[in-house]
Amino acid sequence: MSVTTEQTASFGGVQARAATAMNAPRIAIRNLDFYYGSNRALKSINLDFPDRQVTGMIGPSGCGKSTLLRVLNRMYDLYPGQRATGEVMMDGTNLIDPGIDLNMLRARIGMVFQKPTPFPMTIYENIAFGVKLHEKLSRSAMDERVEWSLTRAALWGEVKDRLHSSAMGLSGGQQQRLCIARTIAVRPEVILFDEPTSALDPISTLKIEELIDELKHEFTIAIVTHNMQQAARCADQVAFFYLGEMVEVAPAAQIFTAPREKRTQEYVTGRFG
Amino acid sequence: MSATTASPLAGHGLHGPAKDARVARQLSVRRARRDRVVRILCVVATVIGLIFLASILATLLWRGLGGLSLTVFTTSTLPPGSNGGLLNAIIGSLIQTLLGAVIGTPIGLLVGTYLAEYSRGSALGNAIRFVSDVLLSAPSILIGLFIYQLMVAPFGGFSGIAGCVALAVIVIPIVVRTTEDMLRLIPVSLREAAVALGTPQWKVIVMICYRAAKDGIVTGILLAVARVAGETAPLLFTSLGNLNWSLSLTKPMASLPVTIYQYAGSAFEDWVQLAWVGALLITVGVLAINIIARVALRGGK
Repeated sequence: MSVTTEQTASFGGVQARAATAMNAPRIAIRNLDFYYGSNRALKSINLDFPDRQVTGMIGPSGCGKSTLLRVLNRMYDLYPGQRATGEVMMDGTNLIDPGIDLNMLRARIGMVFQKPTPFPMTIYENIAFGVKLHEKLSRSAMDERVEWSLTRAALWGEVKDRLHSSAMGLSGGQQQRLCIARTIAVRPEVILFDEPTSALDPISTLKIEELIDELKHEFTIAIVTHNMQQAARCADQVAFFYLGEMVEVAPAAQIFTAPREKRTQEYVTGRFG
Repeated sequence: MSATTASPLAGHGLHGPAKDARVARQLSVRRARRDRVVRILCVVATVIGLIFLASILATLLWRGLGGLSLTVFTTSTLPPGSNGGLLNAIIGSLIQTLLGAVIGTPIGLLVGTYLAEYSRGSALGNAIRFVSDVLLSAPSILIGLFIYQLMVAPFGGFSGIAGCVALAVIVIPIVVRTTEDMLRLIPVSLREAAVALGTPQWKVIVMICYRAAKDGIVTGILLAVARVAGETAPLLFTSLGNLNWSLSLTKPMASLPVTIYQYAGSAFEDWVQLAWVGALLITVGVLAINIIARVALRGGK
């Protein structure tokens, strides 16, 4: 990542990230439409997710930002009646092509959800579960992978003495970091965060945000959030969604201080939504 | 806002419609009275139910404990007056109950899994659920007659295995229902989290959903075992009962409920006494299974 300008913009008492040059896109969305039955929830979306940078997605409830996230890892395939048309290109493959291997895709594009969802097993098994789906590792290699991912998720120090006790005994913030560790243990290329801190307290939220800042050196990140300060703190570029349309995408500093669109300005200044 | 007489809010105060404190108090008193009446009715109903239960248990203990001795567990049923026991009936009951559960549980588990995980909203799934629910409430004597037609009449004889199958038929719908209910209780978010890691559907079910629903499913199986342990009617037409010692599944097999049925109506005092002992044993056994089921359920929370 190269910093082109050193200016920082102030937004609601928060320093928005300095304007940065956007890397080449890791995922490029072109003319994406999404339907829940006959209801068109996403309308001709065009959006790039720059490689190893954080794309924040903001907008009022029901605007389609979570829907877009669930298109990227084809989560919508679980539900009959939901379908997408258009292009979601990654390495020359259209991800919404019905023929692609969904389990392989989901190993490349991981997802962290709104509520922490530890599996009903030990902390160690929670991490090893996903790894075993895609790799055959020796016992020691697996131990290493578990330590690596827990360390990357800033949880190792807190759980290293109880790896073999149930993950259900962790606090909410720890459970969410476990879910992040579980996701990165599979070594994805892209991580999707769907409001990852909306169920957490401020301290845990801060830890997750710091983590996202760390993770973007290795992973391309997309984060949906209702919290505009969070978007300002975490994201390199921010996309504003409204009623199924992507209204505007711009570097974080710009979207919060000098948005091009009137609707964006009204939303980020709290006039609606 | 000023309280002028011209204000449309005059008479309502400044903050909208006023509350009448007297009406509020009357409503509150009436609510409290209704609460008391309903509460008393609940307590009375509970006490009536408990009196019957306590009286059954007390009678069982009173009559059963008197006849309980080591010979009950070491001797098979014998002719009246020869100091027989219930060994063949106890072992027969254990074999048929366990085998019935072993046959019925996997089928019930698979059907319940199909209903909860694969059949969402399909016509076939709804039909299976309906049939299973009908079976759940079918009179058990019909199940006995059905297996008689299927496994006793064609082979020309009553058999222990026919009894096992009859009990399995009772186990299946119970396990189907609890499995489906427990799997449906698993939050969508947990399934999605597993799917998001690239987990194939069968692994989501086996490694995540079964684990999360384990306590409830195990409870359902134990309750099904408890239910069939006391069944008499389905065994009358299938395993018939056997007054001699026999472990053969192809021959008639004794069981506690059928022995109780035969002994309790007899004219011999020692047989009647053994029937009471048998009834006590079944009750204690079923009670133990129920307690285990509840403890297992609580242990998971």
